[in-house]
Amino acid sequence: MMLNWKIRLRRRRDAFVGTPFGCLLRLFVGRILHGGDGNGAEELGLGLGAILTLLAMPGLLVSLLMFEKYGSLIRLLRGDGIFDPFTATVPDEYFFIVLSMTVTGAAALWQWDSIFLDRRDHTNIIPLPISLHTIFFANFSAILALAALFSFDVNAASIVLFPVAVVGSNGSFARFCQFTTGHAVAVLVASVFSFMSVFAMAGCLMAVLPASVFRRVSLLLRFAIAVVFLSMLASVFTVPSLLQRTSVASAHRIATLPPVSFLGVARTAWGIRDPFVTTMTKAAIFAFVLAALILVITYTLSFSRTFLRIPETADSGPLPRTRFSFSPLAPLHKAILGQSSQRACYHFVVRTLLRSDAHLQVISAFVALALVAAAEALTSIRADQFFLVRHMPSADFLSIPFSLSYCVIVGIRCAFEIPSDLRANWIFRLWLPPDDQHARPIARRVLLALTLPWLIPACFLVTLIFFNWATALLHTAILTASDILLVEIVLLKFRKIPFTCSYPTFESHSGVILIAYLFGFFLFTDDLPALEHWAVSEPLRTLCFVPLFAIALASLYAYRKQMLDMDKHLIFEETSPSAF
Amino acid sequence: MLEANRLSKSYGSVPAVQNVSFYLEPGQVLGYLGPNGSGKSTTVKMLTGLLQPTDGQVTHNGKDIHNNLTAYRKRLGYVPEEANLYPYLTGEEYLDMVGILRAMPDPRRKSRIDSLLQLFALAPHRHISLGSYSKGMRQRILLISALIDNPDVLIFDEPMSGLDVTSSLVLKNLIQKLSARGKAIFFCSHVLEVVEKICSQLIILRRGQVIAYGRTAEVLQSIGQSTLEATFLQLTEGRDVAQIANDIVEVVVA
Repeated sequence: MMLNWKIRLRRRRDAFVGTPFGCLLRLFVGRILHGGDGNGAEELGLGLGAILTLLAMPGLLVSLLMFEKYGSLIRLLRGDGIFDPFTATVPDEYFFIVLSMTVTGAAALWQWDSIFLDRRDHTNIIPLPISLHTIFFANFSAILALAALFSFDVNAASIVLFPVAVVGSNGSFARFCQFTTGHAVAVLVASVFSFMSVFAMAGCLMAVLPASVFRRVSLLLRFAIAVVFLSMLASVFTVPSLLQRTSVASAHRIATLPPVSFLGVARTAWGIRDPFVTTMTKAAIFAFVLAALILVITYTLSFSRTFLRIPETADSGPLPRTRFSFSPLAPLHKAILGQSSQRACYHFVVRTLLRSDAHLQVISAFVALALVAAAEALTSIRADQFFLVRHMPSADFLSIPFSLSYCVIVGIRCAFEIPSDLRANWIFRLWLPPDDQHARPIARRVLLALTLPWLIPACFLVTLIFFNWATALLHTAILTASDILLVEIVLLKFRKIPFTCSYPTFESHSGVILIAYLFGFFLFTDDLPALEHWAVSEPLRTLCFVPLFAIALASLYAYRKQMLDMDKHLIFEETSPSAF
Repeated sequence: MLEANRLSKSYGSVPAVQNVSFYLEPGQVLGYLGPNGSGKSTTVKMLTGLLQPTDGQVTHNGKDIHNNLTAYRKRLGYVPEEANLYPYLTGEEYLDMVGILRAMPDPRRKSRIDSLLQLFALAPHRHISLGSYSKGMRQRILLISALIDNPDVLIFDEPMSGLDVTSSLVLKNLIQKLSARGKAIFFCSHVLEVVEKICSQLIILRRGQVIAYGRTAEVLQSIGQSTLEATFLQLTEGRDVAQIANDIVEVVVA
């Protein structure tokens, strides 16, 4: 019986993909997942399974944490009395809504370049005997199918686990179903809204701007959207309490904003009826319908204005670059990069980093994270009434440049791992000797050159404006030493010219690397500023940093010295580590 | 069968192709030559219906191709200039997709794909993704996709790009055999020896305008040259290529 059902289903699927529409739908889903006709986009391609796992992980982890928070024993130990899940879970419900919007939005941003049909699709499909309507609807269906798949995947864990954690052990089945329905509808609608909003923005730009201008501004816009998503995520600590504290009129204004308004959808489904909830729900429905409408209009416009006109536009190729006739760092480069091969590699790395969309995307994501972390610290400083009276910087103030430098250094380091058109690495293979050990110095100089020149003056000046010379000098010196140490740590085993080597190790260990970087983030932006805060209060204490950094650098030096020479040699092909 | 009637195309105020006319009969191979930027690709795009001409029209069996593009494309096989394929599809998957989109019935599609992959020496690589294919292999996939549905009109835009010696020889013979079977072939290439050998008709283009059109032997005779290379250089290049080569060597060894 089961077998027959499976066979019937497979036959139906085969029959569907055997039609031109089904065939195109499958092709377009694949092309969106694998990346468009972008510059080296394929290099970043992950399989569907890996993408779905990555997207599901945040929801799963947060849902598991909810068991600890809402377990009946924990509540009993905390002395919680009457427990109303529909009011007690408002902050967490808001968190899940924002999380689902952020993760789905991030997925949409990642696929930004491959949403709409491009030159490759035009070359391959348009000369075939297929109507334009079929192509139009097949790609639109692919976008909707992926929106549904991503939204479901991002929220699957929380739809199942969050209601179990909250009302699983102390509610009736009807109550459980009511809670689950409200939560599921809110997070799914929020996810789809987020996905549609990103695509609608891409479509708007594509429809309005010439192709070359669109390419120029799209990265900036993606960066801005990423900052908005991360800021939304940061708002989970303030918005729920703000809703309770502010006056009704102010709360109404906040509640009509998309992430908050989706709370109204959940509360309506939970059977809570009051004018405030009604306003929120109406705002959510309006935002959803508006995003859908804009998506449809811009998709149609971009199809007719951009896709169908591809043969009339010359292959745009790389964007023209501004030529700088004067570089203030040029004499410095000659001094710190002794050999001509080093200088050539350094220029290659910096130019690739600043010109490749794929690599800039990675760095932009980290910079966005840095800005949000810095904004969080600034908010804390603003709330501190005695900030200027104390004559000594708080740990929050000191942590800002640490957050910025950590994210930029780690972002660039991650970008180093992602190859950029490996077929072009023959030039380095041909000219650099295999026992060359200059990869690390080059990477180090790139990291420092892209971090310190703007961070040190900014850090010194801002500290000087608010405090005094001594504090500014000490803070800048500690930050500089910390950044140098961080660069040495992240490049400990580095032995390739950035962008020229495949990265199976990075791919297979990405989970561990992510956790390590997360741990490092807290150490670098929380513990280190706290230690500095303690030291700056009594300047002599800052001397403790001297042995601290000296020991750390000596340990790194000793570690590298005991490494075999063959482990320091330049590589262009990294083999995936064996399971045993 | 396929006729271009006073075809013109301008991009803004820049004319790319001006008043190009020709008639391509079944069994004819028309060679289309011209330096870079002379308007060859624009003509090809108009012949395949990818571009609307600013003026003039392309007719297939007496009907404007834009009246029923889908029906025209059903009878058209096209090898584009650049093998820009989907790198994550395998060779077989790509051809299967082309077959489905051409509405070929299942058994015929599968048997054609099997046979053509064998004949083009791609059968061992059929399950490998196109991203791993060499340039020549991708070009062979494009040739198969153009031939798979037995089209009446074939448009080849630089089909020999990246092909190895054997594949090039196969293609040369294939074009001759296809024309013998009544296919109308439009052959756009920079390989003058091949054009001279296989094309029954010839068009030479310069700055968007036809500067020579006729049977290959007649064109050579009218210019007074014995080879197509000499004819082409005389018609399109004002510079002495030997002198340019000499200048380059001087710069290199200086």
